[in-house]
Amino acid sequence: MILFQYLSNGLILGGLYACIAAGFSLVWGVLSIINLLHGSFIVLGAYIAFFSYTVLGIHPFVSVITSGIVLGALGYVVQLGLINRVVAQSVLVTLILTFGLELIMNNAMLVAFSANYRKVILEHSLGVVEIGNIFIPLDRAASTLIAFLLILALWLCLRLTSIGRAIVAVRFDREAALLMGIDVKRTYAITFALGGAMAGAAGSLLSVSFPISPLSGPLFLSKAFVICILGGVGSVPGAALGGLIFGMLESFGAIFFGSEYALTLSFVVLILLLLVRPHGLLGVKGF
Amino acid sequence: MLKSKTKGAIVASAILIGLGGLHPAVAAEKILKIGAPLPLTGPLAPDGARLKSGYDLWAETQNAAGGIKAGPDTYKVEIVYTDYQSNTPRAVQSAERMISEDKVDAIFAPFGSGATKAVSAITEKYGVPMIASNAASVQVFDQGFKYLFGMYTPNSTVTQPLVDLVMKTNPSVKRVAVLARNDLFPLAIAEELTNYAKSKGLEIVSDQKFPIGSVDFSSALTQIRAANPDWIYATGYTNDMIMIRKQMQEQGVKTQLITMLIGPTTPEFIEGTGKLAENVVTSSWWDVATKFKGEDVFGSAENFDRLYRKRNNNGYPDYSVASAAACGAVLQLAITKAGTVEKSKVRDQLAAMDTDTFFGHIKFGPTGQISSLKPPVMQIQNGTPAVVYPPEIKQSELRFDPK
Amino acid sequence: MTRLQLSLVLVATAILLAMPLVGGNYVLRLATIMLMYATLAMAWNFIGGFAGYPSFGLAAFFGLGAYAGGVVQSTGVSIALAWLAAVAVGTLFALVLGFILLRLRGSAFAIATLVVTEVLREVTNGWTGLTGGGMGLNLPFFGWSPSALSAFFFYAMLALTAVTFVTTFIVAHNRLGFGLTCIRQNEDAANIVGIDTTRYKIYAFTLSGGFAAATGGIYASWIGYIEPGDVYDVLFSIKPIVMVLLGGMGTVFGPIFGAVAFLVLDEVVWRSFLELNTGILGLLIVILILFLPAGLASFDVRSLWRRAVTP
Repeated sequence: MILFQYLSNGLILGGLYACIAAGFSLVWGVLSIINLLHGSFIVLGAYIAFFSYTVLGIHPFVSVITSGIVLGALGYVVQLGLINRVVAQSVLVTLILTFGLELIMNNAMLVAFSANYRKVILEHSLGVVEIGNIFIPLDRAASTLIAFLLILALWLCLRLTSIGRAIVAVRFDREAALLMGIDVKRTYAITFALGGAMAGAAGSLLSVSFPISPLSGPLFLSKAFVICILGGVGSVPGAALGGLIFGMLESFGAIFFGSEYALTLSFVVLILLLLVRPHGLLGVKGF
Repeated sequence: MLKSKTKGAIVASAILIGLGGLHPAVAAEKILKIGAPLPLTGPLAPDGARLKSGYDLWAETQNAAGGIKAGPDTYKVEIVYTDYQSNTPRAVQSAERMISEDKVDAIFAPFGSGATKAVSAITEKYGVPMIASNAASVQVFDQGFKYLFGMYTPNSTVTQPLVDLVMKTNPSVKRVAVLARNDLFPLAIAEELTNYAKSKGLEIVSDQKFPIGSVDFSSALTQIRAANPDWIYATGYTNDMIMIRKQMQEQGVKTQLITMLIGPTTPEFIEGTGKLAENVVTSSWWDVATKFKGEDVFGSAENFDRLYRKRNNNGYPDYSVASAAACGAVLQLAITKAGTVEKSKVRDQLAAMDTDTFFGHIKFGPTGQISSLKPPVMQIQNGTPAVVYPPEIKQSELRFDPK
Repeated sequence: MTRLQLSLVLVATAILLAMPLVGGNYVLRLATIMLMYATLAMAWNFIGGFAGYPSFGLAAFFGLGAYAGGVVQSTGVSIALAWLAAVAVGTLFALVLGFILLRLRGSAFAIATLVVTEVLREVTNGWTGLTGGGMGLNLPFFGWSPSALSAFFFYAMLALTAVTFVTTFIVAHNRLGFGLTCIRQNEDAANIVGIDTTRYKIYAFTLSGGFAAATGGIYASWIGYIEPGDVYDVLFSIKPIVMVLLGGMGTVFGPIFGAVAFLVLDEVVWRSFLELNTGILGLLIVILILFLPAGLASFDVRSLWRRAVTP
């Protein structure tokens, strides 16, 4: 029976993790850029939700929209201004560039917000529901639901809108897309903006359940890494699936290896996947 | 390209050697320089900020009181800070720089046992007194160093009295679950507690560790729930504790007593957990409720609390802040007693100290670790921390939740 | 080597040898750090510069060397044996890891090596019995005077740097270096013309790991206390890369110049900014990456082509 509790925990975590990874995966797949800023974008989204709630009384779920817009804009600007200069270069250069930018952003947030962990304390929390012997925290469950909805929205955008299809085209074959008349530079910028927006939204959702500090960024980033490789880089459904599997791994892994090895376990899985199935579970085809 | 790079390298080396040779201009008035490497960035940033607020308060208060008297001279206090980025080797580098270049007269240790131990090797080598505000593990003080002093009593003084108190007050508590952050100090405390509890006949039904930086404890808590403990003992830092307490409720974990180290007495914890903070127990090395009085520049625990709140926007001075300020207060007492700022003489006075201060009675044991304090045990009752031990200063009785 | 280069090396060596006699302890410490990073940069240069494989795992070997050396030293054995152990463990691990990971390319290789550091850190953290875990490892302190100790470790690091430099020089001027350069330019073509790419890559990776581990071993003894988070720090992977990029990939002198230049900047920034030093360092890295000297441009064309050709 207790196994179902682990299952429930894993599912709920999985949804949130999927949201963290979706934007990261898209940027990686389309621009071939491993955006180390992603973690800090998430944290900034969380701060926006925190301050919106404590100062203006706006519920974090509503902040999902505002932080999405803010981080989307930030992503657009950063891409156009900085990342664009190196987007065609080797992984060495791009990784170090985003690393440097991450140092700047992290330090800036540290100075602006201080390192103390902030917590959104909802006045009207949805509480906890007990089904059988399984406890389900409703705030978190709601966050997960919204996370899945966002991923669905992103996926639909990619399939149905013209911009979305341009992004997919560039992802599969940049040269061909160019030849077809697609403005690759603008597509890159929009993709990065989408990635930022998803990060901001994820941050707002996370703020409901977890404390926020500039120090949390790298942790979210590490998880996003593994999920991307699990689900297939560049694939949004892949991120969803990868997120769920990752949530399960963490939840059940704790039973066999102890919680302190959760991250190690996921990294070992990552290396194995890179060797055996680098395109992830949904492969290059999934988008 | 080679030539310009060569020139660059030569110029760089020259600058470096030049920087190395720089000495600050000698000021007209006498200045006592104290080096304080702090983690202002990186994972320990919150703790670094707290320590700084304590040091700054002391320096300000001491200078306002006319500085430090040493024999016929009066010294103005100046603290030299560096950011060691939560990275121990940088802390060591900072210490060496402060000693060889800034020529500091004393060092306030960096945060935590590990960094303190690493830096103590440097201060001992150079014969510079170092006072550690936040190092409790006995392992820090086991090298036979003469220039190292610590303001926290060993971990056993934190764990053992609590176990005794719990067993005395509520004999039905038999099953203990331990959850420790995989980090030096929290691990050491958890180990202490586990050993002592076992020796007293309690049963450890769950013993888990969580990685640094965890935000989700659902798996660990599910295991704890399955183990059905009477007492849950969690160690880590404030934000870990907030998460664990909240998620305990989300996961339906119920027990008779929750002990968390460190964090429950901070406003962050009480605000962050709201009603859930009720009845959480913690140990603390100091609290304003102790009402200590002393010969130092602050004079009393209450005065320290008042001055701190005035300077820090009514912020709450927890024991790490008080300990930091106490380092300064203690240093001043030693210097004044020695009548000079000469390092070896100041060191001797520190070793011989037997005085009351706002932080409590100060007497350092043979290893340099303080031996005269009894860490109070506090429980959150009606939203505020109340002292439940030791009997001399207790304000209330220890409460348990129903089974 | 040209006469200019040779005379430069001799002058530099003379200055370095004399340093403990003229410099104070702190300057010596800085110089030791500089030598350490120069060695790390040269170590990375074997796999990243010559072979063109973007390894982000230097910290893994550094940390492994630090712990291997540290654990051996704390059993009471002489420091030289501890350092030998560090090199042995690091080289062996590099050999094994190389076999496994060198079949990956580009991003996949970068990620895998980045992640190895994290895994090693967590394993070290968890293996409390051997390594002290989160409580760290303390190394015995052999009661010399501060000046004597500073000089000792300075010379030790200098010796290591010299050996690494000589190795780099030899590699650059023989078959291995040539083969690695071919691999960097176009691995598939290199295979076709008969270069045993697998063997050469493993050599490069092993050299890289071995030297990084040696550096870690000396470092641990020098600092006296190590924690998993301190030595398995991703910055030990990133900084050497920036240094080599700055100084010139796959060259003999490049890594050294890059290391010196970068560290001077790093030290000045650290001294001058109390709360912003990390951010300003990030800014420096960004500026360096965006406006790197011409040496990087030629690398780009090849890497672009390689990326287009690699699935």
